[in-house]
Amino acid sequence: MSTNTETTSNHAEPKPGMNAASRRYTTDLTATGEPFLWGLGGALALGILLVVGFLVLIFWNGIATFWPKPIEVVTLNSGTVVAGEPTRDNVFKPGDGLLERLTEQDREIIDSNVGFAHRVLYRTGNYDLYNEDFRWVSDFEIAKVETPPGMYLFERQEWGVFIGRIAGLVLDGESRNLSDYDRAAIQEQQEAARERFEEIRHIERDEIGEVNYYMEQARLDLKRVALDHGRDSGEYRQAERETEQQITELQREYEQLAARAEAIKETDRRYRITLEEIGGEQKELPLSEIVRFYPANDLSPFGKAAVYFSRWGEFLTSEPREANTEGGVLPAIFGTVAMTLIMVVFVAPLGVITALYLREYAKQGRLVSIVRISVNNLAGVPSIVYGVFGLGFFAYTLGGGIDALFYPERLPSPTFGTGGILWASLTLALLTVPVVIVASEEALSAVPRSMREGSLACGASTWQTLRRVVLPRAMPGIMTGLILAMARGAGEVAPLMLVGVVKLAPELPVDGFFPYVHLERSFMHLGFHIFDVGFQSRNSEAGKPMVYVTTMLLLALIVLMNASAIYIRNRLKKRFAGSAF
Amino acid sequence: MKKTLLALAMSVSLAAPAVAVELDPALPDYEPISGVSGSLKSIGSDTLNNLMTLWAEGYLSHYPNVKIEIEGKGSSTAPPALIAGTAQFGPMSRPMKSNEEEKFEAKYGYKPTPVRSSVDALALFVHKDNPVGCLSMQQVDAIFSKTRNGGYPKDITTWGDVGVKGEWADSPISLYGRNSASGTYGYYKKVALFNGDYKDEVKEQPGSSTVVQGVASDKAGIGYSGVGYKTADVRTVSLKTSADGECFDANAENAYAGDYPISRFLYVYVNKNPNQALDPLRGEFIRYMVSRDGQSAVIKDGYYPIPNAIAQAELKSLGLK
Repeated sequence: MSTNTETTSNHAEPKPGMNAASRRYTTDLTATGEPFLWGLGGALALGILLVVGFLVLIFWNGIATFWPKPIEVVTLNSGTVVAGEPTRDNVFKPGDGLLERLTEQDREIIDSNVGFAHRVLYRTGNYDLYNEDFRWVSDFEIAKVETPPGMYLFERQEWGVFIGRIAGLVLDGESRNLSDYDRAAIQEQQEAARERFEEIRHIERDEIGEVNYYMEQARLDLKRVALDHGRDSGEYRQAERETEQQITELQREYEQLAARAEAIKETDRRYRITLEEIGGEQKELPLSEIVRFYPANDLSPFGKAAVYFSRWGEFLTSEPREANTEGGVLPAIFGTVAMTLIMVVFVAPLGVITALYLREYAKQGRLVSIVRISVNNLAGVPSIVYGVFGLGFFAYTLGGGIDALFYPERLPSPTFGTGGILWASLTLALLTVPVVIVASEEALSAVPRSMREGSLACGASTWQTLRRVVLPRAMPGIMTGLILAMARGAGEVAPLMLVGVVKLAPELPVDGFFPYVHLERSFMHLGFHIFDVGFQSRNSEAGKPMVYVTTMLLLALIVLMNASAIYIRNRLKKRFAGSAF
Repeated sequence: MKKTLLALAMSVSLAAPAVAVELDPALPDYEPISGVSGSLKSIGSDTLNNLMTLWAEGYLSHYPNVKIEIEGKGSSTAPPALIAGTAQFGPMSRPMKSNEEEKFEAKYGYKPTPVRSSVDALALFVHKDNPVGCLSMQQVDAIFSKTRNGGYPKDITTWGDVGVKGEWADSPISLYGRNSASGTYGYYKKVALFNGDYKDEVKEQPGSSTVVQGVASDKAGIGYSGVGYKTADVRTVSLKTSADGECFDANAENAYAGDYPISRFLYVYVNKNPNQALDPLRGEFIRYMVSRDGQSAVIKDGYYPIPNAIAQAELKSLGLK
């Protein structure tokens, strides 16, 4: 094939001498194709510019988000003191009402700037005290700006950030003198408190969780017996006794665990820290409530880097906090990857088999053409339509049927009869199957006829030819189709909102309880997370940086998945390159 | 009691830019019980979406292996989900309409039970540089509605029409609102538009936060959304019920007293059979919701907590007390 193109291109190209001569004498630029070439190049450049601009925007904002900023303490003319991280600034035109209230001097400055003034948005935090997290401060309001040492930024388990100073420390129930404890010592205490917090969580979530799971299971088993045999039957009475016994036992286990957790909590309550905001208002909270703290103005570049990476670590490996605006996105990462992989598992055989039949077995005629056109048209159906189909057919019809057959004891709460990761993957598989079919057909038709005929002439059957000769050669092309499908599927959000993506689903579809993989569970998805944090969270200003970081992560994830698919494809190519005739 | 407390809080921190909302000190702490497990799903209001998530996070910290899923795509999605049994909770930012209640009753034989979970003042947001002063409800109606049921004599299309001077006077008002699936849309239509129709120019937004973001980036914008979604880029407009009435800000005190004209309860609907006790899984969630812990989450999300009297009344109506 490649040699073929070379010959044609040789034919098409005029002899070099002739070409130069015609160029010298022509006055019409279009004849040489020059403007057209410029147009093509320009279009390419524009496209690259747009993509690069988009990526730079995302990365610039995303990369910088977690870098600790200094805390400025701003004293206003009115005497009020504001402390916060400068977030962004802009110029604005003060209205007449505002101008009247300014001093002569300020008005002059504004006049000299053709009526514009400058202002800065400070992230002040302390939402529980101020009822706002951000505040605009105009330059003409400011008496002075400082970055004093000793200003701390605290990231709290609840209520977002606190900006202020440390005003008191209670360790093991005793109030300590702050001068005896430097930052490292407090940090040590905080880390110890955090460990206690994690342990409580481990007991509550994993160990008590297990007890609760078995309790629920026992209840469901009993309900099942009631459904099978009726409530008056001997079986039911026996099962009831057994269940009761089982539940009492589990209850005892639960109480032991709860007592253990309570003991740790008791200790935890004896370690407290008092924070003081810039205006002098104080707030005492358990040390374990503090996720991270650092003296923003006293950090060395290394200290800043440490905070930066620790924030990334939290983002990638923990669960979201505070209605998704803080903490990490681990469940969303997991959901995105798992859904995409399950989708590939469905779409690959479906698409490839369809393409094989259409290209190799089916008699090429009007019917096959119609099928092919229909497949191509499917690619153009809006994705939300697939979502509606997925909800109506998969979740309600199929899922409802499965529930009625296999999980009657759990009704009316649906098991499969509502959105879940399985239905979402299937919906996306439907959405992406045209891409795979078209790409696979192309790949199959690119295998030279001579190879097929050679194989058939040696006495191989059609299937043997397909399996041993055609498929291996077509594999890289089929993989390309799958990669395209994956990229499309991983970035799709609209249909998922109907078939199983939710705002909060802390439980991963995989856990330690039989059958270990729970495909009926709802899941979180990075794309939906972006939508949710950006457009649904209370504080959209605080959510903005998270949107950039999450977008960056989603892009990185798709690139990573594609890169590994490309790697596999290249290995396949190499493997089969040698086996050609 | 609450009002004096609020007034106290106000006077102490008058210098501060904003005032922290206080909880009713009589609200009881939440006392966890043992053996609660199972899975819950909530489908409904987008206004209550974050709040449900915060409650779920708090509830999970007491009952770690309860599974809670939350979906918030508009109040109108709550009744069908409750009827179909796909959700145990239906958060709604408006009371159910009678036809929704009837459909529920047709299936179960009794009405769904509403729980008043928190108070929301619907704020009218404008860009932070917009100098517009207090607006009367009739003016608001004339800004947003084409039918002007409020009785304002003429249509309002520019900021000059509501008394803003200088360069703002000629700039046309750009309108932001919610999409029709949201309870906020319906509530605002009923109260602020006097049941009239929205103008066609209202840009319908998919979320409460999107309205605020729209206004923040549009100098001539005005939009309505829950007061909890306020950012530093927008400010709220104070409102009066009639042209010569007194102006009230969107704050907790005015919302409780009923002075602020567009404040409302946010509901969580449950399917409770009047002849059966509520199962502990749902019962404890409601108990958590109206407890001190649950109500401090309300403040965290920018809404106003309910006083203890309402909390106790709700527990009573569900037989949890």
